[in-house]
Amino acid sequence: MSSPLTGTRHLLRLVLRRDRFRLPLWVVGLGGMITASALAVPPIYDSPEKIAGYASAVGTSPVSYLMSGRQAAIDTIGGIVANEISQVAQLGICLMVMFLVVRHTRAEEESGRAELVRSAVVGRHAATLAGLLYGVGAAVLIGAITTTSMLATGLDGAGSVTYGVGLTLLGLCYVAISLVAAQLSVSARGALGLAGAMIAIGYVVRGVGAMQDSALVWASPFGWAQRMDAFGEEQWWPALLLVTVTAALLALAAWLTVHRDFGGGLLQSRPGQPRASRFLGTPIGLTLRMQRGLLIGWAIGLTALGLLYGAVIPTIPDLVASNPDIARAIGVSADAEQALIDAFLRYIFVFMAVILTAFAVTSVLRLHGEEESGRTEAILATRVTRTSWVRAAVVVTGLGTLLLSLLMGLGLAAGYGLGMGEWDRVAEQVGGQLSYVPGVLVVAALAVAIVGLWPRRSAFAWIAVAFVFFQVMLGETLRLPDLVDGVSPFWHLSEVPVEPLEALPALTELGIVTVLVMLGLWGYRRRDLGRS
Amino acid sequence: MTTAIAVSGLVKDFGSRTRALDHLDLRVEAGEVHGFLGPNGAGKTTTIRVLLGMLRADGGHVELLGGDPWRDAVALHRRLAYVPGEVNLWPNLTGGEVIDLLGELRGTLDASRREELVERFQLDPTKKIRAYSKGNRQKVALVAAFSSEVELYLLDEPTSGLDPLMEAVFQDVVQELRADGRSILLSSHILSEVEALCDRVTIIRAGRAAESGTFDDLRHLTRTSVVVDTTRPLEPVTRWPGVHDARVHGGHAEFSVDPGELNRVLGHLVDLEVRSMVTSPPTLEELFLRHYDEDIAGRGAGAVAEVVRAR
Repeated sequence: MSSPLTGTRHLLRLVLRRDRFRLPLWVVGLGGMITASALAVPPIYDSPEKIAGYASAVGTSPVSYLMSGRQAAIDTIGGIVANEISQVAQLGICLMVMFLVVRHTRAEEESGRAELVRSAVVGRHAATLAGLLYGVGAAVLIGAITTTSMLATGLDGAGSVTYGVGLTLLGLCYVAISLVAAQLSVSARGALGLAGAMIAIGYVVRGVGAMQDSALVWASPFGWAQRMDAFGEEQWWPALLLVTVTAALLALAAWLTVHRDFGGGLLQSRPGQPRASRFLGTPIGLTLRMQRGLLIGWAIGLTALGLLYGAVIPTIPDLVASNPDIARAIGVSADAEQALIDAFLRYIFVFMAVILTAFAVTSVLRLHGEEESGRTEAILATRVTRTSWVRAAVVVTGLGTLLLSLLMGLGLAAGYGLGMGEWDRVAEQVGGQLSYVPGVLVVAALAVAIVGLWPRRSAFAWIAVAFVFFQVMLGETLRLPDLVDGVSPFWHLSEVPVEPLEALPALTELGIVTVLVMLGLWGYRRRDLGRS
Repeated sequence: MTTAIAVSGLVKDFGSRTRALDHLDLRVEAGEVHGFLGPNGAGKTTTIRVLLGMLRADGGHVELLGGDPWRDAVALHRRLAYVPGEVNLWPNLTGGEVIDLLGELRGTLDASRREELVERFQLDPTKKIRAYSKGNRQKVALVAAFSSEVELYLLDEPTSGLDPLMEAVFQDVVQELRADGRSILLSSHILSEVEALCDRVTIIRAGRAAESGTFDDLRHLTRTSVVVDTTRPLEPVTRWPGVHDARVHGGHAEFSVDPGELNRVLGHLVDLEVRSMVTSPPTLEELFLRHYDEDIAGRGAGAVAEVVRAR
């Protein structure tokens, strides 16, 4: 009884045991967000007029196309609910399976634990299969919760099931993508980067395709799931496309497993420098070196995202021209066009800033990761003070955030300039992106405080990221009370360029950043260090 | 200044239930190589972490190179080098980069010494840490520490994973450092290494210093082993006071004797007409096992007998 799959059951049990809090947290967190939105939308659109209003305004806005694609049957309550939850549900399910799958495949192999496991009676494909089953299980749970909550609000049965199935299949497709990424890269970080890039590409390609109403949507799994047209025509053949691609990717992952060395990948390490530069021997130099891959990856991704978004801005007037409903609602004038572009820019700015919080928190939490791995001990056993070690992490995170914002703004301006042939708004666009930096820094500073004061609770910093994501994406839809909205730093900042920039909220937030960083530093200086 | 490390009554708790260090005493004189022995989980690494100012002592007095390791951490770190027990280095840096990096951070890197040590430990500095074997990672940590000219070296099981050739290089380097008047705290399980290098040892058990002194001091406190053949049967041996772990087979016996009873036991043996006899001071290993086994003995006396019979 020894096949390449021997031991899968034991591995799956181990996975479930290790994630007995993590998995429920993802399912309850993401499922809860979806359920809350699904339940909140119908009472708001309780009359045919309101539904028609939504269809003509939100349902045709470029921002909505970019965020959620072109939802079928947008003039029905089912279509509205699907459109509202799509962004959180689709991005959420993809991110969830990516983190869960990589954690139990490449991360295990990189740590060396998988070697011990593999030396037992465990088949070659058992770890991959356990990761697959785990990812599939998590995706199915989210899909089931989504369908159930849609049914609970009294939406059409067939539409609810179609939507849930489409969402689940999208999740499965990214389970397979993550498994392939885990085979290709030798490090877990690399695998996350690769799979994360695939999510970003799929999401952006679908959004741009939807804006242009072009065949581009067919180049993205997000597009396939959406073109099942839940609540509309309900076609099932795009599901087949998702299933086929998922199966092909799984076969690829299995093939890679057989054709590579254990612990290896396609990207092998080469010899490096025999000597260190003088700069590496400083806290900032070392921190920067550790973040190099992270920074470069994010810089490429965000610049590309900025370029792409900038490039689609010039198509907004066409969109207005082709849609008499919008034209009637806002009037046909240069001002109206400008207002639409500003609203679009404001959305892009805040969306990219929210994405940036993920970078900032990752960067700060490296401080904790180094401590957990025991390497901080080696650093602090030298003349480096705790203060300068924390300061290096803070400086690198702060400057990194600023630099990435700048690159996003420049990308946006460049995309816009290339598309419009107009370069006179560069400063405005770059400045607009930078005006959201204080919000990012507040989240990062909270992470510093947590690492300093409650190191074992470091992962809680991600709750702040999830919350700002939730507030920015769904705050308006759900009509959250100001008290809840107000927890998000982005809610207080001026809505540049829709509103003029006010200095006070930004300066207040920078003050809060200072206080949080000082608190974190105070905690870090007085507590025990190391794994305990 | 004549004392490198002076620890008395050190207490460290993790939470309210776990007492890792329970009034530990440890004294390392300047210029000596001090062995730090004890079973796994006895508190050796915790002690070193307190000495490095990573952990805050909950009680007692700790002095390192004349300073307070918590308060003066950074000033003291300029004067010491540390090799961690679990060498976890940055997988994407090369060995050479890590050595330079730690040396720069310490501020005491001696470039020519670094070259010499890389040579002696036969290290390829261009390989990424990820690609090194366990022993090679250990060598990186050792070269990084020994490239620094400092007063005190804290070495936490520094030779685990080294091959015998590299173990010999390690011992040579430590001997040179000792000749040079440096102080070294060496936590180790490799007894031949400790015996070859250390002037004095401290044995720690369950967070307390069980024994401390030179090997001779420790031996005087410990039983002598005796292997003897006599003309007359040796059965009475088991009944003599001060005799332990006796195994008797007609006119042949092996046993150990308490230091204070040795003379009287010899008297009894003479009466039985000794034909041949070998006595030996306890080896470090025996010393060691005796201390380690007291933990086990508390749980089940069988373990001690097992060990004795096995040798």
